[in-house]
Amino acid sequence: MDDLELLKKDWQKKEINHPKLSYNDIHGMLWKKSSSIVKWILIISIMEILLPQVVYLFPSFWSSDGMLFYNNLGLTSPLLFLSVIYYGVVLYFILQFYKRYKEISVLDNAKNLMSKIIKTRKTVKNYVFFSLSMILLFFMTVVFYIYIDDDFIKTIELSAKDISEISKEKLENIKLLSMVIFTTVGVLFTLLVGFIYFLLYGLLLKKLNRNYKELRRLEV
Amino acid sequence: MSKELEHAFVTELECNQNVVHKVCTLYTNDRDAHNDLFQEITIQLWKAYPKFRGDAKFSTWMYRVALNTAITLYRKSKKNVKTLDYETVFFKIKADEYDPTEEQQLSLMYKAIKQLNDIDKALVFLYLEDKNYNEISETLGISEVNARVKMNRIKSKLKTILNP
Repeated sequence: MDDLELLKKDWQKKEINHPKLSYNDIHGMLWKKSSSIVKWILIISIMEILLPQVVYLFPSFWSSDGMLFYNNLGLTSPLLFLSVIYYGVVLYFILQFYKRYKEISVLDNAKNLMSKIIKTRKTVKNYVFFSLSMILLFFMTVVFYIYIDDDFIKTIELSAKDISEISKEKLENIKLLSMVIFTTVGVLFTLLVGFIYFLLYGLLLKKLNRNYKELRRLEV
Repeated sequence: MSKELEHAFVTELECNQNVVHKVCTLYTNDRDAHNDLFQEITIQLWKAYPKFRGDAKFSTWMYRVALNTAITLYRKSKKNVKTLDYETVFFKIKADEYDPTEEQQLSLMYKAIKQLNDIDKALVFLYLEDKNYNEISETLGISEVNARVKMNRIKSKLKTILNP
Protein backbone atom coordinates (compact mmCIF):
# COMPACT_ATOMS: atom_id res chain seq x y z
CA MET A 1 0.00 0.00 0.00
CA ASP A 2 1.05 3.54 -0.70
CA ASP A 3 2.82 4.93 2.37
CA LEU A 4 1.34 8.35 1.79
CA GLU A 5 -2.19 6.95 1.79
CA LEU A 6 -1.58 5.49 5.22
CA LEU A 7 -0.17 8.80 6.34
CA LYS A 8 -3.16 10.67 4.95
CA LYS A 9 -5.54 8.75 7.17
CA ASP A 10 -3.36 9.35 10.17
CA TRP A 11 -2.88 13.02 9.34
CA GLN A 12 -6.55 13.76 9.15
CA LYS A 13 -7.64 12.07 12.33
CA LYS A 14 -4.94 13.45 14.58
CA GLU A 15 -4.54 16.65 16.48
CA ILE A 16 -1.31 18.51 16.18
CA ASN A 17 1.05 18.33 19.13
CA HIS A 18 0.73 21.95 20.10
CA PRO A 19 -1.29 23.69 22.80
CA LYS A 20 -4.58 24.93 21.42
CA LEU A 21 -4.78 28.70 21.33
CA SER A 22 -7.66 30.44 23.03
CA TYR A 23 -9.87 33.16 21.61
CA ASN A 24 -7.87 35.74 23.54
CA ASP A 25 -4.54 34.37 22.34
CA ILE A 26 -5.64 34.78 18.73
CA HIS A 27 -7.26 38.12 19.35
CA GLY A 28 -4.01 39.42 20.79
CA MET A 29 -2.18 38.49 17.59
CA LEU A 30 -4.34 40.61 15.31
CA TRP A 31 -2.59 43.85 16.10
CA LYS A 32 0.95 42.56 16.27
CA LYS A 33 3.38 43.87 13.70
CA SER A 34 3.91 41.79 10.61
CA SER A 35 7.48 40.82 9.80
CA SER A 36 6.76 39.64 6.27
CA ILE A 37 9.33 40.24 3.56
CA VAL A 38 6.88 42.45 1.68
CA LYS A 39 6.92 44.80 4.63
CA TRP A 40 10.71 44.72 4.74
CA ILE A 41 10.92 45.46 1.05
CA LEU A 42 8.70 48.50 1.58
CA ILE A 43 10.79 49.79 4.49
CA ILE A 44 14.10 49.24 2.72
CA SER A 45 12.77 50.75 -0.49
CA ILE A 46 11.66 53.92 1.25
CA MET A 47 15.11 54.18 2.80
CA GLU A 48 16.71 53.62 -0.57
CA ILE A 49 14.63 56.33 -2.14
CA LEU A 50 15.45 58.79 0.63
CA LEU A 51 19.15 58.04 1.05
CA PRO A 52 20.41 59.10 -2.39
CA GLN A 53 18.35 62.29 -2.06
CA VAL A 54 20.34 63.22 1.01
CA VAL A 55 23.63 62.47 -0.69
CA TYR A 56 22.58 64.13 -3.90
CA LEU A 57 21.53 67.29 -2.11
CA PHE A 58 24.78 67.36 -0.20
CA PRO A 59 26.45 70.15 -2.17
CA SER A 60 23.68 72.53 -1.19
CA PHE A 61 24.05 71.60 2.47
CA TRP A 62 27.68 72.53 2.36
CA SER A 63 28.97 75.93 3.37
CA SER A 64 28.43 78.82 1.01
CA ASP A 65 32.09 78.41 0.10
CA GLY A 66 31.21 74.98 -1.19
CA MET A 67 28.44 76.33 -3.36
CA LEU A 68 30.75 79.04 -4.62
CA PHE A 69 33.22 76.34 -5.55
CA TYR A 70 30.60 74.76 -7.80
CA ASN A 71 29.51 78.10 -9.18
CA ASN A 72 33.03 79.06 -10.02
CA LEU A 73 33.55 75.79 -11.80
CA GLY A 74 30.56 76.71 -13.97
CA LEU A 75 28.67 73.70 -12.65
CA THR A 76 25.42 75.41 -11.77
CA SER A 77 23.60 74.71 -15.02
CA PRO A 78 24.88 71.15 -15.47
CA LEU A 79 23.82 70.37 -11.89
CA LEU A 80 20.40 71.87 -12.45
CA PHE A 81 20.06 69.89 -15.67
CA LEU A 82 21.05 66.66 -13.88
CA SER A 83 18.62 67.40 -11.07
CA VAL A 84 15.66 67.86 -13.39
CA ILE A 85 16.32 64.55 -15.16
CA TYR A 86 17.05 62.84 -11.88
CA TYR A 87 13.84 63.85 -10.13
CA GLY A 88 11.75 63.10 -13.18
CA VAL A 89 13.06 59.56 -13.25
CA VAL A 90 12.78 59.18 -9.46
CA LEU A 91 9.12 60.14 -9.67
CA TYR A 92 8.59 57.53 -12.37
CA PHE A 93 10.22 54.87 -10.19
CA ILE A 94 8.14 55.80 -7.15
CA LEU A 95 4.92 55.55 -9.13
CA GLN A 96 5.90 52.23 -10.66
CA PHE A 97 6.96 50.88 -7.27
CA TYR A 98 3.66 51.92 -5.72
CA LYS A 99 1.68 50.30 -8.51
CA ARG A 100 3.54 47.01 -8.26
CA TYR A 101 3.53 47.01 -4.49
CA LYS A 102 -0.24 47.39 -4.51
CA GLU A 103 -0.57 44.37 -6.78
CA ILE A 104 0.99 42.05 -4.21
CA SER A 105 -1.76 39.99 -2.64
CA VAL A 106 -1.54 37.10 -0.25
CA LEU A 107 -4.67 35.69 -1.92
CA ASP A 108 -2.85 35.14 -5.19
CA ASN A 109 -1.47 31.72 -6.01
CA ALA A 110 2.05 31.05 -4.76
CA LYS A 111 3.74 31.52 -8.11
CA ASN A 112 2.04 34.81 -8.94
CA LEU A 113 2.69 36.11 -5.48
CA MET A 114 6.39 35.38 -5.76
CA SER A 115 6.62 36.78 -9.26
CA LYS A 116 4.95 40.03 -8.17
CA ILE A 117 7.26 40.44 -5.22
CA ILE A 118 10.25 39.87 -7.48
CA LYS A 119 8.92 42.42 -9.98
CA THR A 120 8.45 45.00 -7.24
CA ARG A 121 11.97 44.41 -6.07
CA LYS A 122 13.25 44.74 -9.64
CA THR A 123 11.80 48.24 -9.78
CA VAL A 124 13.84 49.11 -6.71
CA LYS A 125 16.88 47.43 -8.19
CA ASN A 126 16.61 49.51 -11.36
CA TYR A 127 16.12 52.60 -9.27
CA VAL A 128 19.24 51.88 -7.24
CA PHE A 129 21.27 51.27 -10.41
CA PHE A 130 20.02 54.55 -11.76
CA SER A 131 20.76 56.45 -8.55
CA LEU A 132 24.24 55.04 -8.27
CA SER A 133 24.94 55.96 -11.89
CA MET A 134 23.72 59.48 -11.24
CA ILE A 135 25.94 59.83 -8.19
CA LEU A 136 28.89 58.56 -10.18
CA LEU A 137 27.97 60.92 -13.01
CA PHE A 138 27.85 63.79 -10.54
CA PHE A 139 31.37 63.08 -9.33
CA MET A 140 32.63 62.61 -12.87
CA THR A 141 31.07 65.91 -13.93
CA VAL A 142 32.90 67.69 -11.14
CA VAL A 143 36.15 66.03 -12.17
CA PHE A 144 35.58 67.03 -15.78
CA TYR A 145 34.90 70.64 -14.88
CA ILE A 146 37.99 70.79 -12.72
CA TYR A 147 39.93 69.44 -15.67
CA ILE A 148 38.69 72.08 -18.11
CA ASP A 149 38.96 74.90 -15.57
CA ASP A 150 41.86 77.07 -16.71
CA ASP A 151 41.63 79.34 -13.76
CA PHE A 152 41.54 76.75 -11.01
CA ILE A 153 43.52 79.01 -8.64
CA LYS A 154 40.66 81.48 -8.62
CA THR A 155 38.18 78.72 -7.98
CA ILE A 156 39.88 77.34 -4.90
CA GLU A 157 40.88 80.78 -3.65
CA LEU A 158 37.31 81.24 -2.53
CA SER A 159 37.35 77.99 -0.64
CA ALA A 160 40.68 78.68 1.01
CA LYS A 161 41.10 82.40 1.12
CA ASP A 162 44.71 82.70 2.21
CA ILE A 163 46.19 81.30 -0.98
CA SER A 164 48.31 84.03 -2.48
CA GLU A 165 51.25 82.93 -4.51
CA ILE A 166 51.25 79.48 -5.96
CA SER A 167 53.56 78.31 -8.68
CA LYS A 168 52.09 76.94 -11.85
CA GLU A 169 53.53 73.53 -11.09
CA LYS A 170 51.97 73.44 -7.67
CA LEU A 171 48.65 74.49 -9.13
CA GLU A 172 48.72 71.60 -11.57
CA ASN A 173 49.40 69.27 -8.66
CA ILE A 174 46.48 70.64 -6.65
CA LYS A 175 44.25 70.29 -9.67
CA LEU A 176 45.34 66.72 -10.22
CA LEU A 177 44.93 65.88 -6.56
CA SER A 178 41.38 67.29 -6.51
CA MET A 179 40.48 65.20 -9.52
CA VAL A 180 41.91 62.07 -7.94
CA ILE A 181 40.07 62.71 -4.68
CA PHE A 182 36.73 63.27 -6.40
CA THR A 183 37.16 60.18 -8.57
CA THR A 184 38.17 57.98 -5.64
CA VAL A 185 35.36 59.16 -3.38
CA GLY A 186 32.83 58.78 -6.19
CA VAL A 187 33.88 55.24 -7.11
CA LEU A 188 34.27 54.05 -3.51
CA PHE A 189 30.92 55.45 -2.50
CA THR A 190 29.17 53.81 -5.45
CA LEU A 191 30.80 50.47 -4.75
CA LEU A 192 30.02 50.62 -1.04
CA VAL A 193 26.35 51.44 -1.49
CA GLY A 194 26.06 48.83 -4.24
CA PHE A 195 27.64 46.20 -2.02
CA ILE A 196 25.39 46.94 0.97
CA TYR A 197 22.38 46.88 -1.29
CA PHE A 198 23.11 43.51 -2.82
CA LEU A 199 23.99 41.99 0.51
CA LEU A 200 20.74 43.21 2.03
CA TYR A 201 18.49 41.90 -0.71
CA GLY A 202 20.52 38.77 -1.17
CA LEU A 203 19.85 37.78 2.42
CA LEU A 204 16.25 38.96 2.46
CA LEU A 205 15.16 37.21 -0.69
CA LYS A 206 17.30 34.09 -0.58
CA LYS A 207 14.42 31.84 0.39
CA LEU A 208 11.92 33.45 -1.96
CA ASN A 209 14.25 33.17 -4.93
CA ARG A 210 14.93 29.53 -4.17
CA ASN A 211 11.24 28.67 -3.93
CA TYR A 212 10.39 30.66 -7.04
CA LYS A 213 13.05 28.83 -9.00
CA GLU A 214 11.66 25.53 -7.77
CA LEU A 215 8.16 26.43 -8.99
CA ARG A 216 9.45 27.74 -12.29
CA ARG A 217 11.50 24.60 -12.81
CA LEU A 218 8.28 22.61 -12.83
CA GLU A 219 6.88 24.55 -15.73
CA VAL A 220 9.77 23.93 -18.11
CA MET B 1 -12.56 47.40 11.09
CA SER B 2 -15.61 46.74 13.12
CA LYS B 3 -15.85 44.73 16.32
CA GLU B 4 -18.22 42.25 14.69
CA LEU B 5 -15.77 41.50 11.93
CA GLU B 6 -13.06 41.05 14.50
CA HIS B 7 -15.20 38.70 16.53
CA ALA B 8 -16.25 36.67 13.48
CA PHE B 9 -12.67 36.31 12.36
CA VAL B 10 -11.24 35.24 15.71
CA THR B 11 -14.05 32.73 16.21
CA GLU B 12 -13.48 31.20 12.77
CA LEU B 13 -9.75 31.01 13.28
CA GLU B 14 -10.12 29.54 16.73
CA CYS B 15 -12.21 26.71 15.28
CA ASN B 16 -9.92 26.13 12.32
CA GLN B 17 -6.57 26.68 14.01
CA ASN B 18 -5.53 23.09 13.50
CA VAL B 19 -4.87 23.79 9.80
CA VAL B 20 -2.53 26.64 10.66
CA HIS B 21 -0.78 24.56 13.32
CA LYS B 22 -0.21 21.83 10.77
CA VAL B 23 1.40 24.27 8.36
CA CYS B 24 3.56 25.68 11.15
CA THR B 25 4.67 22.22 12.22
CA LEU B 26 5.71 21.37 8.67
CA TYR B 27 7.70 24.54 8.15
CA THR B 28 9.34 25.14 11.51
CA ASN B 29 11.50 23.15 13.86
CA ASP B 30 10.98 24.59 17.31
CA ARG B 31 8.20 26.00 19.36
CA ASP B 32 9.30 29.63 19.12
CA ALA B 33 9.45 29.51 15.35
CA HIS B 34 6.10 27.70 15.31
CA ASN B 35 4.46 30.46 17.34
CA ASP B 36 6.15 33.13 15.28
CA LEU B 37 4.89 31.69 12.02
CA PHE B 38 1.44 31.15 13.50
CA GLN B 39 1.32 34.81 14.40
CA GLU B 40 2.45 35.95 10.96
CA ILE B 41 -0.18 33.75 9.30
CA THR B 42 -2.82 35.19 11.65
CA ILE B 43 -1.80 38.73 10.72
CA GLN B 44 -1.91 37.94 7.01
CA LEU B 45 -5.29 36.21 7.36
CA TRP B 46 -6.66 39.15 9.27
CA LYS B 47 -5.37 41.67 6.73
CA ALA B 48 -6.98 39.69 3.92
CA TYR B 49 -10.17 38.91 5.83
CA PRO B 50 -12.21 41.86 4.49
CA LYS B 51 -11.78 40.29 1.05
CA PHE B 52 -13.14 36.96 2.26
CA ARG B 53 -16.67 36.85 0.86
CA GLY B 54 -17.82 33.61 2.30
CA ASP B 55 -18.19 32.05 -1.15
CA ALA B 56 -15.61 29.48 -0.13
CA LYS B 57 -15.28 27.72 3.18
CA PHE B 58 -13.18 29.62 5.67
CA SER B 59 -10.80 26.67 6.01
CA THR B 60 -10.32 26.44 2.23
CA TRP B 61 -9.55 30.11 2.05
CA MET B 62 -7.05 29.68 4.88
CA TYR B 63 -4.91 27.15 3.01
CA ARG B 64 -3.78 29.63 0.43
CA VAL B 65 -2.95 32.42 2.86
CA ALA B 66 -1.22 30.07 5.30
CA LEU B 67 0.90 28.41 2.62
CA ASN B 68 1.74 31.69 0.91
CA THR B 69 2.90 33.06 4.22
CA ALA B 70 5.00 30.01 5.02
CA ILE B 71 6.59 29.69 1.57
CA THR B 72 6.93 33.29 0.52
CA LEU B 73 6.28 35.96 3.08
CA TYR B 74 7.77 34.46 6.21
CA ARG B 75 11.25 35.85 6.48
CA LYS B 76 13.05 34.04 9.22
CA SER B 77 15.21 31.20 8.05
CA LYS B 78 14.67 27.77 9.40
CA LYS B 79 17.17 26.11 11.62
CA ASN B 80 18.92 23.11 10.24
CA VAL B 81 16.64 20.10 10.20
CA LYS B 82 19.47 17.83 11.29
CA THR B 83 19.80 19.53 14.66
CA LEU B 84 16.13 18.93 15.33
CA ASP B 85 15.26 17.28 18.58
CA TYR B 86 11.89 18.86 19.22
CA GLU B 87 8.76 17.06 18.16
CA THR B 88 10.23 14.17 16.29
CA VAL B 89 6.75 12.85 16.73
CA PHE B 90 4.30 15.25 15.18
CA PHE B 91 1.17 14.33 16.95
CA LYS B 92 -0.18 13.42 20.31
CA ILE B 93 -0.29 9.68 20.58
CA LYS B 94 -3.50 8.45 22.08
CA ALA B 95 -2.80 5.55 24.43
CA ASP B 96 -5.69 3.37 23.29
CA GLU B 97 -4.74 3.31 19.65
CA TYR B 98 -1.03 2.99 20.12
CA ASP B 99 0.45 0.53 17.66
CA PRO B 100 4.24 0.55 17.95
CA THR B 101 5.09 -0.61 14.42
CA GLU B 102 2.60 1.62 12.67
CA GLU B 103 3.42 4.53 14.91
CA GLN B 104 7.10 4.11 14.20
CA GLN B 105 6.53 3.91 10.47
CA LEU B 106 4.42 7.07 10.53
CA SER B 107 6.95 8.88 12.64
CA LEU B 108 9.63 8.06 10.07
CA MET B 109 7.38 9.34 7.29
CA TYR B 110 6.85 12.62 9.08
CA LYS B 111 10.57 12.99 9.57
CA ALA B 112 11.14 12.33 5.88
CA ILE B 113 8.58 14.97 4.90
CA LYS B 114 10.35 17.54 7.03
CA GLN B 115 13.45 17.04 4.93
CA LEU B 116 11.68 18.06 1.72
CA ASN B 117 12.01 21.55 0.27
CA ASP B 118 9.37 24.24 0.87
CA ILE B 119 7.46 23.65 -2.36
CA ASP B 120 7.40 19.86 -1.97
CA LYS B 121 6.12 20.28 1.57
CA ALA B 122 3.29 22.44 0.28
CA LEU B 123 2.27 19.76 -2.20
CA VAL B 124 2.43 17.03 0.44
CA PHE B 125 0.44 19.18 2.85
CA LEU B 126 -2.36 19.78 0.36
CA TYR B 127 -2.29 16.11 -0.60
CA LEU B 128 -2.59 15.01 3.01
CA GLU B 129 -5.42 17.47 3.48
CA ASP B 130 -7.16 15.55 0.70
CA LYS B 131 -7.17 18.38 -1.81
CA ASN B 132 -7.55 17.33 -5.42
CA TYR B 133 -4.97 18.18 -8.08
CA ASN B 134 -7.08 21.00 -9.40
CA GLU B 135 -6.98 22.73 -6.03
CA ILE B 136 -3.29 21.99 -5.59
CA SER B 137 -2.48 23.47 -8.98
CA GLU B 138 -4.54 26.58 -8.30
CA THR B 139 -3.01 27.15 -4.89
CA LEU B 140 0.54 26.89 -6.16
CA GLY B 141 0.06 28.40 -9.61
CA ILE B 142 1.30 25.41 -11.57
CA SER B 143 -0.58 23.29 -14.08
CA GLU B 144 -2.55 20.26 -12.96
CA VAL B 145 -0.37 17.91 -15.00
CA ASN B 146 2.75 19.31 -13.41
CA ALA B 147 1.21 18.98 -9.97
CA ARG B 148 0.67 15.27 -10.64
CA VAL B 149 4.16 14.78 -12.03
CA LYS B 150 5.63 16.62 -9.09
CA MET B 151 3.63 14.59 -6.59
CA ASN B 152 4.89 11.34 -8.12
CA ARG B 153 8.44 12.60 -7.89
CA ILE B 154 7.91 13.48 -4.25
CA LYS B 155 6.61 10.01 -3.56
CA SER B 156 9.74 8.45 -4.96
CA LYS B 157 11.86 11.03 -3.16
CA LEU B 158 10.23 9.99 0.10
CA LYS B 159 10.84 6.35 -0.68
CA THR B 160 14.52 7.09 -1.19
CA ILE B 161 14.72 8.93 2.11
CA LEU B 162 12.98 6.08 3.92
CA ASN B 163 14.88 3.24 2.26
CA PRO B 164 18.32 4.57 1.53
